[in-house]
Amino acid sequence: MGPSGSGKSTFLRLLADLEKPNSGEIIINNKNGISDIAVVFQDYSLFPWLTAEENIVLALKKRLKGKKSKKELFQLAEQYLTMVQLGHATKKYPGEMSGGMRQRAAIARALSVGSDLLLMDEPFGALDPITRIQLQELVLQINQDQKKTIIFVTHDAEEAIMLADSIVMFSPGPPGKILECIDVPFEKPINRNELFESREFIEFRDDLLQLMNKGIFEKLNQKEAVEDGGGI
Amino acid sequence: MRRNLKHYSITLAIFFLLILIWVYFTNFSDLLNPVIFPPISEIAGAFVEAFDEMLKGFASSMALLIPALALAFILGVGGGVFFGLRQNLREIFSPFFHVLSPLPPTLFIPYAIALLPTFKSASIAILFIGAFWPIFLGTIQGVVLIDKRYWDNAKIIGLKGIDFIWKFVLPASSPYILSSTGTALILSFIVLIMAEMFGAEAGMGHFVLYYTDFSQYDYVLAGIIFNAIIILTIILIFEKVKKRILFWMNLKSD
Repeated sequence: MGPSGSGKSTFLRLLADLEKPNSGEIIINNKNGISDIAVVFQDYSLFPWLTAEENIVLALKKRLKGKKSKKELFQLAEQYLTMVQLGHATKKYPGEMSGGMRQRAAIARALSVGSDLLLMDEPFGALDPITRIQLQELVLQINQDQKKTIIFVTHDAEEAIMLADSIVMFSPGPPGKILECIDVPFEKPINRNELFESREFIEFRDDLLQLMNKGIFEKLNQKEAVEDGGGI
Repeated sequence: MRRNLKHYSITLAIFFLLILIWVYFTNFSDLLNPVIFPPISEIAGAFVEAFDEMLKGFASSMALLIPALALAFILGVGGGVFFGLRQNLREIFSPFFHVLSPLPPTLFIPYAIALLPTFKSASIAILFIGAFWPIFLGTIQGVVLIDKRYWDNAKIIGLKGIDFIWKFVLPASSPYILSSTGTALILSFIVLIMAEMFGAEAGMGHFVLYYTDFSQYDYVLAGIIFNAIIILTIILIFEKVKKRILFWMNLKSD
């Protein structure tokens, strides 16, 4: 979690091997980098010229190189889409889907990669509040059912608390830094309504926001000081 | 729909007005030379009389155009993808592309005639040169400009080989490929008429040039109208095909 420009997405891209670090190494499970990367972006996780199932088959093909027939691949794709409640929309193109459906399909595709690690880069940032909550529930369910580690980038404190076991707070950059790692004190599964009304939640959220804002204000003050100096 | 009708009714009115102007000046005034500007009845007569000949010309023009365009499309898209994906090679060769591509294809006529055995093969070569460059350069541009987010996607699912080209590079660059193919198509009609100026015995352009030599302007105009109809039809068909291939750009969620 962190404000814009703090390097959250860059960190995720480094993990996904979409960008190379200027220095240092990325070690996951004692290995340099990961071979199978599952990523859900904010949008454009799917190719618009392929249907939902074709998008997933494309990812499956690489993983199951020649081990399955075309028919089996499409059946498998349908299973993944059913898992995200899109069993009815396998033949739809991304352009025909709502934002929420697209992100469901993107999650299905990420799951089909079969990686233990799922990276999500502000995946619900462009969605309306209700769809957003529905998809957060989906992520929690996947996390529970499939025991996948999920690294989820967001700047929404409530989303972070709802989803995370621990929150890594980034400071505003550049260069962004890790401010603090905070364990979320609420047991899962969480009842959203009860939680949002509890004092512990409100205090925790305020602390979190304060931590994030502290960084932002410091940054703003710094800039002002520089600008004042420059004006004279 | 009603709005369309209204728009097109104005278009039609202008069309008939132009015909009336033509009729007035050719039938009821002495201002225009009647040989160069024949009356409509004569043009229509020539159109009917020469229709078979024009159809034959159309067939022989297509016999040049289709192989040239097909070859230009295959090599243009293939070469465009090849250079589009290889920045180093592209930088080395792009000066050649920039020097060669703007040259009018007709400049190569002497060499085409000297090197190729028949008029037909020479014409196809000239037409090919004309159509190749726009498609080739358009494809390079399309590949270079593929959205970074699509690239991320392709990398993440580890696309390689045939799928990488067919399911990612070609569809992602298809808007540019098709729009440059449209340009090539229009350009190739211009080149076609020129290519038919040497040695052709039939063809859409040849028909017009042939009757110009005899000052039979009713036939010339019939040929021009015939060309206009054919070219318009082909372009409309191409636009339909293009729209169908690029269907994914115009989808709406329900």
